[in-house]
Amino acid sequence: MLEQILCIDDDPITLMLCKKVISKSSFSHEVITAQNGEEALHHFNILKYTNDKAKKRPELIFLDLNMPIMGGWEFLDHFTSPDYQEFNTVPVIVLSSTIDPEDLAKAKKYPIIIDFLSKPITLAMLEYLKKKIDL
Amino acid sequence: MKSKTLQITLIYTIISIIMAVVCHKLLTTYFSSSEYLYLPLVKDIAFILLTALFFSLILSKNEKRNVTIFEKLNKINEAIEESNEKYDIVAKATSDTIWDWKIQEDRINWNKGIEGVFGYDPKEVGKTSKWWFDKIHPEDSIRMSIKLYSFIEQKTEKWQDQYRFRCADGTYKYVLDRGFLLKDENGRAIRMIGAIQDITKQKEEEQRLKLLETVITQSKDSILITEANSSERKIPKIVYVNPAFSQMSGYQSNEIIGKSPNIFKGPKSDSVELQKLLRAIKNEEECLIETITYTKSKEEYWVRFSMIPIFNNEGVISHWISIQRDITDEKKLETEKEHLIRELTQNNKDLKQFSYITSHNLRAPLSNLIGLLNLIEDIPIENEELQEILAGFTKSTHLLNETINDLVKVIIIKDNPSMQKEEVSLEEVFENVFSQLSFQIELHKPIIKLKFDKVPELTTNKAYIESILLNLLTNSIKYKSENRKLKISITAEQIEQRTILTFKDNGIGIDLERNRDKVFGLYQRFHNYPDSKGLGLYLVKSQVETMGGTISIDSEVNKGTTFTITFKN
Repeated sequence: MLEQILCIDDDPITLMLCKKVISKSSFSHEVITAQNGEEALHHFNILKYTNDKAKKRPELIFLDLNMPIMGGWEFLDHFTSPDYQEFNTVPVIVLSSTIDPEDLAKAKKYPIIIDFLSKPITLAMLEYLKKKIDL
Repeated sequence: MKSKTLQITLIYTIISIIMAVVCHKLLTTYFSSSEYLYLPLVKDIAFILLTALFFSLILSKNEKRNVTIFEKLNKINEAIEESNEKYDIVAKATSDTIWDWKIQEDRINWNKGIEGVFGYDPKEVGKTSKWWFDKIHPEDSIRMSIKLYSFIEQKTEKWQDQYRFRCADGTYKYVLDRGFLLKDENGRAIRMIGAIQDITKQKEEEQRLKLLETVITQSKDSILITEANSSERKIPKIVYVNPAFSQMSGYQSNEIIGKSPNIFKGPKSDSVELQKLLRAIKNEEECLIETITYTKSKEEYWVRFSMIPIFNNEGVISHWISIQRDITDEKKLETEKEHLIRELTQNNKDLKQFSYITSHNLRAPLSNLIGLLNLIEDIPIENEELQEILAGFTKSTHLLNETINDLVKVIIIKDNPSMQKEEVSLEEVFENVFSQLSFQIELHKPIIKLKFDKVPELTTNKAYIESILLNLLTNSIKYKSENRKLKISITAEQIEQRTILTFKDNGIGIDLERNRDKVFGLYQRFHNYPDSKGLGLYLVKSQVETMGGTISIDSEVNKGTTFTITFKN
């Protein structure tokens, strides 16, 4: 089981669903959330600058694409830049309702994205992911 | 000759002298007068000698005249012989057909040409002029005979005419006939000799050229012919323009011949294209350009302009032929078309984006609903009414989800018409489809007959073929007859270069008389079923067509439905 994962989504119901479904499965102990890319980056900034080794760090990110203020793609561009080099081992799973084939094609260009899944998050999906990341 | 005159004179002299001597002897016997005994004899002899001398003179003069006449005759004879010989040689050597017509007797003789050129057996060649006239083409014969007889009557020396002459095999040859008239001392025409030349080839060539010429004169494209020799980097002078050119440019041929086509150049002419033209002229190469050019009244028009070099037998360039087409309308249409395409492409892109956003915005809350309902499933609910409400809520949500998913499939298929194909095992495809429908199959237990042994594998898109068969199978189950057990038969066949999939059921069918046009349409429903979305067959057709196939339906109400899908290999 993972210690902590980060869900980035502007929709509170999606976030609520994530929390509930994950808590039902034995996927992760803790789920933290961010409402857009900027908020997520802010969280990583705090981790970076406080450098508190005791503080938990997310081991996996569920990322939505369409969000206000800072969307998923913009977040990824920052997150994969040298500024956040220390976090570049954290895998990202895109969790979206998009059907635009361009999004799928774009996702292939980011090695950090390990999967591209369609909402809603389900127990079956988590079982599948467990196998994938060898949990 | 000379000796003959002498002979005659000598004989005359001798006989006369003998007569004189005999007469003298007789006279001296019967009349003796001794004193003038020899005087009469001498007188006689003298007279004889004198007459003999005159005689000899006259004879020799006559003889001289005779000799000249004889020599003249000889010469004439020789000339005639030579002329006859020449005639014979010419008649034999010429390829012309020679005829010789004795007009008064109406007898006509032909040389070998009538055999060689026109194929007549010498035996069938007639001896009168009628035979000749009979062989002339009916359209030509009256004109020709009028011309010929008026010539004979006017008695000029030469005559020539063109007409069609029938050959032994019934075909006609164009001939040029030339004749000379021979007259007697009274100026009467007695004989005519003529030579017929076969000009069929020339005539045909002439007609062919005439025909080719009409191509130039009747062409809607303007045609210009220019000289070949020109000083460096100059467009050579015009020597011919066709009527279409005058129409297009406004220049009459007499105004433009001798000028250089440079006069068509104007401020808007494409200088790059003109450079290309000059280069081609310099290199003696064919070329095609498009440029704006100007009429006589300085109006601009678009022209597609080709220059073709014409080489003579020695391979030296002799002329340039230029063919020009007014493409102003074409250019206008092209610009309009480009504009329209740009606009449509943009519209299409906008619409596509719109459909992506819409479906995203629909899918996002829907997925939440599904997620939330999934969570409720695990919570025990006591209240029966609430249970019922939640069951309806779940069903509606899943139906909405299916609809949205089908719509998304349609959007994606329309957006992405090219897809990957692979070798697909039909058995495997059906196993997948059956497993997705296992609940319904278990419920209704249809009798399903599969026959794929002819086409075990198909090169196709796996997802599409699965979706197609899933939709068809779902429809069969959904629209089964309540009165009989559902039977479904699915076969694959290979006919020539095509694979044919037949999907047949004994369900309630569709009234094709009323609905044939709509069967595969979007949002068409033919039965009042609550979970019918009117998307399935539309999606099936789209997927079949995206894979380059066709689908047809055959159905009878209450008997069943057959779908036939054909793929070209």
